[in-house]
Amino acid sequence: MTRISKSMSRRTVLKSGVALTSMLAAPGLLRAEPAPVKVGLLQPISGAFALDGDLAKIGAEFAIKEINDAGGIKALGGAKLELVVGDSRSNAEAGAQATEELQSAGVAAVLGGFASGIALTATQTAARYDLPFVVDCAVADTITERGLKNTFRFNPNFSMATAVALKNLVKLNDDAGKPIKTVAIVHEDGLFGSGLAKIMQEKLPPLGFQIVETIAHPTPARDMTNVVLRLRALNPDLIVPSHYFNEFVLMARTLQQQRVRPKGIYAVFGGAASSYRFVNEFPEAAQGVMDCNHWGDPKSPITAKLRETVTAAGKFYAYNTPINYSLVKVFAQAVEKAGSADRAKIIEALAANEFDSGIMPYGKTKFDAKGQNASALPLNTQVQGKDIKVIYPAEYAEAKPVFPING
Amino acid sequence: MTKPRLATLAIIVAALAVIAFAGLSGALLNLMIFMMIIALAAQGWNILGGYAGLSSFGHAAFFGAGAYAMAVLQTRFGVNAWIALVIGIALGALVGAFIGFLSFRSGLKGSYFALITLAFAEVARILANSWNFTGGAAGILLKLQTGLPYLQFADRRYFLLITIGCVAIGLVVSWWLEHSRFGAYLVALRENEQAAQALGVDVFAVKMKAIAISGALTAAAGCLYAQNYLFIDANVAFGSWISIEALFAAIVGGSGTVLGPLIGAIVLLGLGELTKGLSGGIPGMDLLVFGIILVLSVAFSPNGLVMLMKSLGLRAPAKAKEA
Repeated sequence: MTRISKSMSRRTVLKSGVALTSMLAAPGLLRAEPAPVKVGLLQPISGAFALDGDLAKIGAEFAIKEINDAGGIKALGGAKLELVVGDSRSNAEAGAQATEELQSAGVAAVLGGFASGIALTATQTAARYDLPFVVDCAVADTITERGLKNTFRFNPNFSMATAVALKNLVKLNDDAGKPIKTVAIVHEDGLFGSGLAKIMQEKLPPLGFQIVETIAHPTPARDMTNVVLRLRALNPDLIVPSHYFNEFVLMARTLQQQRVRPKGIYAVFGGAASSYRFVNEFPEAAQGVMDCNHWGDPKSPITAKLRETVTAAGKFYAYNTPINYSLVKVFAQAVEKAGSADRAKIIEALAANEFDSGIMPYGKTKFDAKGQNASALPLNTQVQGKDIKVIYPAEYAEAKPVFPING
Repeated sequence: MTKPRLATLAIIVAALAVIAFAGLSGALLNLMIFMMIIALAAQGWNILGGYAGLSSFGHAAFFGAGAYAMAVLQTRFGVNAWIALVIGIALGALVGAFIGFLSFRSGLKGSYFALITLAFAEVARILANSWNFTGGAAGILLKLQTGLPYLQFADRRYFLLITIGCVAIGLVVSWWLEHSRFGAYLVALRENEQAAQALGVDVFAVKMKAIAISGALTAAAGCLYAQNYLFIDANVAFGSWISIEALFAAIVGGSGTVLGPLIGAIVLLGLGELTKGLSGGIPGMDLLVFGIILVLSVAFSPNGLVMLMKSLGLRAPAKAKEA
């Protein structure tokens, strides 16, 4: 005490007085740290989709760090973003419950959802609180067709993606001199598989493809031998599969074992077709498999960084990471434009503005009247060697398609 | 075995209602609603599995019947939600009678009955998954529209009250079973079917009534589920998860007791939420902790938590006397 009072000369008192007044005059400087903006991320951290949830989280965390390191949200005086993760446990009720928890935690918006069933219940839960919800890769068209004002979707929906997939399939076939005449559809009997099979059955014949067989199987399936033997007998030029990871891998391996060699395998939202895990574990079975799926812009330097981060953590990169990275970026822009972390203002900003799409190949993201990102589109990829290359559309393509694959 | 009095049940229901209005957060209200729905499904299971000793692995068939009735009637036929609820419950009873008629006529019991119920639930799941009428694999979305006629409320507490009311009805039904001739028939049948038959109990009729009541209660749970989450598909409504939740809650709580299913549901789901905080950032760790606690609780109270509470309650005064 005594020492302090001794050192307090008149001059220092004056100096500190000046300093104090100048600080009072600039309240922005005094409040060095404005209240952070909480962002909810709803992903399946445990359960059947835990791998996807984990990859999504890595992407979102990466974006948050990038934004905070660059000075946070400028419109809010450099407010930092704070990620609050809700675990949907890969099922719909837990998704709703986790959304309630995010609401209690006071988040400004929820991002994610991952699967359609989870996204459907979670967005409805959020709608009760007018809590903005931007869905990622849940594809059911119905998500944005319920008139919920709070609900937006960043990624393409089912109809948009299949339209692109069919257009590119025709182009692929025409460019290669029309080697494909017959098609077999193999699908799982859930929402995703049977929905896709139905669209393919309607749309492929008018485009000049003959469907020789449509084979349904349940998920999980432990054995694909019967399916593959049937395919061998039919010998279609092209196989259009739609199933989840395990069944896709099983089918591709069984095709290889049974030496069934179609001219191409063309998946839409293929369960494993654009998975590095599949390519790494079964490179031979994966060779030449094509997919039309969510995919980050391969030419962006951030894509490379994200891949490094994921690989360094000992995990296999997939589309969840770039999507959720970009989703956080879009949210941050919305907060900047809203100039506030107020939910109603964020919803307004999301609906009214155009956004940079992060590293997703969407050009400018613009949500339409229903909340669907009108410029979202999937990319076509193909497994080539030990890598997955984008083959369509031209502005993002890294490689030429290898087609037909077997002669 | 002391039976709970009606007054005790009234106090418990009143306590639940008070908790509902104690200013809980949305997350807790949602959890309580889910607890009540599972409790109701478990009460349904308990009538058949607990009192009559006919363990079912397929209560999803009733749950799904209720859920789909609720969803289909409202979305396809524009039926009022309350009427749909009544029809859904009736349909549950009807499905119960159908399954019961087929299996009891051929004298199925024990594991054979369990397996046939499982098969029925699976058949229902696959049908609902592939039939356009039930929305196929895409499931059915109910429209979010709040208001009393729609049985949806902007304020969660009112819906919670309705679920508590349904659980109260379940409690009264179970209480009535313990005090009625019909309930005595059920227990007689559970303990020794031949003896019951020899004493003049119409075994078939009693079983049919039991499965119909059981189906109706579980279907009510399905109706409430659809109305709360506003989205169902075949795997949600007819999936084996609900069959497991229903029998799990009843068995852990104490099968063949009035309060068992309710206590089981509250403890199981409450524990699930509590262990979420214990995960330590490792995904799935909470489920592991949950599993360990569950194994321990079943190991130390094989007759259910209700019985454990009773035995502790009986022991405590004895100790007091010694002291």
